[in-house]
Amino acid sequence: MMDTVYFVVQQMWFFSIPLLIVALGGMFSERSGVVNIALEGIMVVGAFCSIFFINRMQDVMSGQLLLILAILVAAGSGMLYSLLHAYAAVNLRSDQTIGGTALNMIAPAFAIYMARMLQENGVQQVQFNNTFRIEKVPVLGDIPVLGPLLFQNAYITTYLGLAILLVSVIVLYRTRFGLRLRSCGEHPQAADSVGISVYKMRYAGVMISGMLAGLGGLVFVVPTSTNFNATVAGYGFLALAVLIFGQWKPPRIFFAALFFGLMKTIASAYSGIPFLKDLSIRSDIYKMIPYIATLIVLAFTSKNSQAPRASGVPYDKGGR
Amino acid sequence: MKAIRRFFRSAGPVNAASSLIAILVGLVFGGLILLISNPGQALQGLGIIVAGGFGGGMKGVGQTLYYATPLIMTGLSVGFAFKTGLFNIGASGQLITGGLAAIYVGVNWTWLPDPLHWVVALLAAMVVGGLWGAIPGILKAKLNVNEVIACIMCNYIGMYGVNYLIKNSPSIYDQLRNQTVSVDPAAAIPKWGLDQVFYNLKGNYHDVSSVNGGILLAILLAVLMYVLLNKTVFGYELKACGYNRHASKYAGINESRCILLSMAIAGALSGIGGGLMYLAPATGLHIEVVDVLSAVGFNGIPVALLGLSNPIGIIFSGLFISHITQGGNYLQRLNYMPEIIDIIIGVIIYFSAFSLLVRNVMAAILRRHEASREKAVLKKGGA
Amino acid sequence: MDASDYVIEMLNITKDFPGIRANDDITLRLRRGEIHALLGENGAGKSTLMSILFGLYQPEQGVIKKDGREVKIHNPNDANALGIGMVHQHFKLVHNFTVLENIVLGVETTRHGFLKMEGARRRVTELSQEYGLMVDPDARISDITVGMQQRVEILKMLYRENEILIFDEPTAVLTPQEIDELMRIMRGLAAQGKSILFITHKLNEIKAVADRCTVLRKGRCIGTVDVSATDKEEMSEMMVGRRVAFEVPKAPANAGSAALIVQNLSVRSKTHAKPLVNNVSFTVHKGEIVCIAGIDGNGQSELVYALTGLIRPDAGRIFLGDSEITHASIRKRNDYGLSHIPEDRHKHGLVLDYTLAENLILKSYYKPGFQRHGFLRFDQMYRYADALIEKFDIRAGQGAHTVARSMSGGNQQKAIVAREISERPEVLVAVQPTRGLDVGAIEYIHSQLVAARDEGKAVLLVSLELDEVMNVSDRILVLYEGEIVADVNARDITAQELGLYMAGSRRSEVI
Repeated sequence: MMDTVYFVVQQMWFFSIPLLIVALGGMFSERSGVVNIALEGIMVVGAFCSIFFINRMQDVMSGQLLLILAILVAAGSGMLYSLLHAYAAVNLRSDQTIGGTALNMIAPAFAIYMARMLQENGVQQVQFNNTFRIEKVPVLGDIPVLGPLLFQNAYITTYLGLAILLVSVIVLYRTRFGLRLRSCGEHPQAADSVGISVYKMRYAGVMISGMLAGLGGLVFVVPTSTNFNATVAGYGFLALAVLIFGQWKPPRIFFAALFFGLMKTIASAYSGIPFLKDLSIRSDIYKMIPYIATLIVLAFTSKNSQAPRASGVPYDKGGR
Repeated sequence: MKAIRRFFRSAGPVNAASSLIAILVGLVFGGLILLISNPGQALQGLGIIVAGGFGGGMKGVGQTLYYATPLIMTGLSVGFAFKTGLFNIGASGQLITGGLAAIYVGVNWTWLPDPLHWVVALLAAMVVGGLWGAIPGILKAKLNVNEVIACIMCNYIGMYGVNYLIKNSPSIYDQLRNQTVSVDPAAAIPKWGLDQVFYNLKGNYHDVSSVNGGILLAILLAVLMYVLLNKTVFGYELKACGYNRHASKYAGINESRCILLSMAIAGALSGIGGGLMYLAPATGLHIEVVDVLSAVGFNGIPVALLGLSNPIGIIFSGLFISHITQGGNYLQRLNYMPEIIDIIIGVIIYFSAFSLLVRNVMAAILRRHEASREKAVLKKGGA
Repeated sequence: MDASDYVIEMLNITKDFPGIRANDDITLRLRRGEIHALLGENGAGKSTLMSILFGLYQPEQGVIKKDGREVKIHNPNDANALGIGMVHQHFKLVHNFTVLENIVLGVETTRHGFLKMEGARRRVTELSQEYGLMVDPDARISDITVGMQQRVEILKMLYRENEILIFDEPTAVLTPQEIDELMRIMRGLAAQGKSILFITHKLNEIKAVADRCTVLRKGRCIGTVDVSATDKEEMSEMMVGRRVAFEVPKAPANAGSAALIVQNLSVRSKTHAKPLVNNVSFTVHKGEIVCIAGIDGNGQSELVYALTGLIRPDAGRIFLGDSEITHASIRKRNDYGLSHIPEDRHKHGLVLDYTLAENLILKSYYKPGFQRHGFLRFDQMYRYADALIEKFDIRAGQGAHTVARSMSGGNQQKAIVAREISERPEVLVAVQPTRGLDVGAIEYIHSQLVAARDEGKAVLLVSLELDEVMNVSDRILVLYEGEIVADVNARDITAQELGLYMAGSRRSEVI
């Protein structure tokens, strides 16, 4: 029985942490006033660049060092890609949904094109060897209950995700940057009138979201697969749902991410959970669960949405 | 003269010009990618893309029309919802559920008289697609659920649900190929002689294209949607909701009803798209039981954006996207990857943001021109 | 006088916007320690000029001098560095931040990037005591009154140690008593050596507080006068360009039968225990203009929304003549003869992307005159639009085909008034129908309201402008915290008395 619980929780981290990271990214963007529907595409770009990096470097190095370098690649590439969104949304004041949709379209095509062009055999899947799993963290992994839940069969990305949560709370609520960022998402005219550059803050918000979404792409692929096939299976969109469910606040986003992670775990690992396996329900039904759960949760939480007031509204400095 | 002036003053030409600029930028960008990946053949490659379906002779043109059919439908679907201020990113799910309904009727309801069979199958696609589109509509209208997220969830639920239903319906499941079986010939969309127009002659052999009556139906529906949006009371209400939901509520327009109907109609259009796709005669196209969302549904978005959500514009943008996609297929002759077309389309959509800027600048110039002329007229009148 | 006695000089400022010259060769000189009024109608270019001084816009021509030296002000930071601060007409406050957070925003003190609020809190407390501006630093903006929010805006300037204070139409949202308080504060600030620019179109306030006054009209500078050496009539003539009648010409009301009856109406608040509209009852008769006066945010909007069907009341009944409409749809209410000139013409009144003609049938497009078998009758629509454009003198570049967005505010409002009055209503609800309009348009709309009354219609006017309340209405109801605290005849009350009711410090005995 306890083994099943440990198994489910360990699996849950694999699904929850990327959702958490990406949703926090979306939060920074929306808190600055830019809706970032391009999270999905940014994840794809981040995942592609970093997995391709691993693919090329795994002959010379392996393990945590390689993963850390890949994390940097993922965050960097995601940030670069998100600049396109920032430019369209901030400088051109274009419809943020349309701009984001364009990036979502370009990303998988880009990933496939590059994979087929750069790989010798011309296939679109990018393979990698998973040398990153930590069987058991020394000392911590031996703590009863907590050890198996958090410190066995884990990846450093899990701890990275939790650290990002902590840093996000501090940055958002305790720093000058956070105060200014939030003011741009709520009332950009007010921010502008006290000399805060709304453009700069929105660029910052979008770039942070790009960094985190790119990272989230890698974090999503590594524990659950051994190759990258130009898709993150709608995780960017799920992260947006987590963001809305989490009401744009980091602690609530954390719990929302855990909830969806659990749903996703049930969908993908039900055969490893004895009593679910005994129900003998078709796999397609289980696969639907996270999405149906999302709809139901949104139906109950959307009525009094607390979205940042200026989110999605282009800011026109010279406007009358 | 007055009519001409009004034409140039109206938004239409400025908008079309901005779309053309976006296309141009997209093609230039595509050319750059070709240049980077294989400089020697880049120019030739770009030529193939631009030539599109024409690169395959009359058959190629027929193929362009064939692929354009569902694209126009999903484009209409997305564009119609846009007019009511809704972003229907759920065309994929609506298309696949509608397609399944069409296949089910097309395979099983053989008791229908032959001339009616395909009509009923298409109607089934319309109804089911409409219902699938109505779900996010209800959630938005009654519970304020963000329709973009709801649509995306419905895409996945639709895909997995369709897979589940196919696997559990022996009558339509081809277990060997893991896909649906072919529909009854009477349920296939009639060709209406189009295959006699779009073919390549290979000796005495007619190498026919897959084009069928669906393209005519799609164009007819586009015209109908144009009339509905621009000439009717209902269209007036829908657009009022889309432009300003507060004002339309103030005017006594039932906003919830508008949202619901708009999404249902959008869903029905996508559903018909699915029907036309999977009822197409002799193409061997079936719903495959895989965990992948239908790309045609998503490609409706660029079609709608490029067509500026105008149903007539969407006919042309659907044809254009299909056209360069054909070009992308022929591009493989030069060992270029066809995905370059998806990049080009994405870039075009991205640059329609620039074109918004272009549009504003052009409109401002026109306005200033108008204003200065008006002033001159006033002065003359005053003297 | 020596040039350096001027703390700010704006010389020959010209600013163009697409299609319009907002400022045309304007010169304004501000002396140290004076209160200088900037007078002009809506659209005269006051706000543009101040935005240039504050660094929000760059002028095409002209120079700005600070203490006699030429300066360039590219953004609010530059303005702030020169000691220029501004209280904007629409407050620039973040609704879910605290008072303290709003005050320090942009000039935060930090340690290693982390916010350090203790020093700021102390300074704010000192300032609020020094200048008599009491606020709770930890209250959220959304929880405090408009008057309090204005104090926060003033404290923002003082916290930044600004020497030149710009007040943009600061009294529009205040009660007469709050206005007196603000005047006291402004005099105090000037006495401490601050130089104040006071933008307004209200002559009484200029007489009360300003030393000098610069008058703008249609983007041009008409002149600068010493306030003590001139009178209201002269200034108003400078502002408008002609003699202005301060009174609205109208005959005594001839009230008939009851047209709108409201019984015990209540609207609950989602966030607070106290209802937004609390047990309100009144009657409007045919042939009278009843005005609902009160400070903004005392339940006027919610009362109107409940009357017109935009929200559902939680208790009470509403009758239109003999028919009860408490739960009727908006469409039904319109058909029963209720017209509504809404508070926010851009949010509710117009579909800005529709043409003028389409907007003029916004409430009647479904009626047989404009449709046949579900198809719109464009010929009828344009004929109707042309008739209204003619009758109500709506100016639009391309006539009925003009997109509403491109029309001026005054003409947009005229279009709404034309639409609502032409619906031949039994009851006309007009909410702040003259907000943001110039004197000509205001006079016109007032005359239309009176004309509607004289035709035997019942008019319910909701207004925040005391002059409008006093001049246009026959009967006045004062709304305070969602309750009616006075029901008086307009002839029997002075502005000061009305102010006491509006501030909630007095209640009619009869109610």
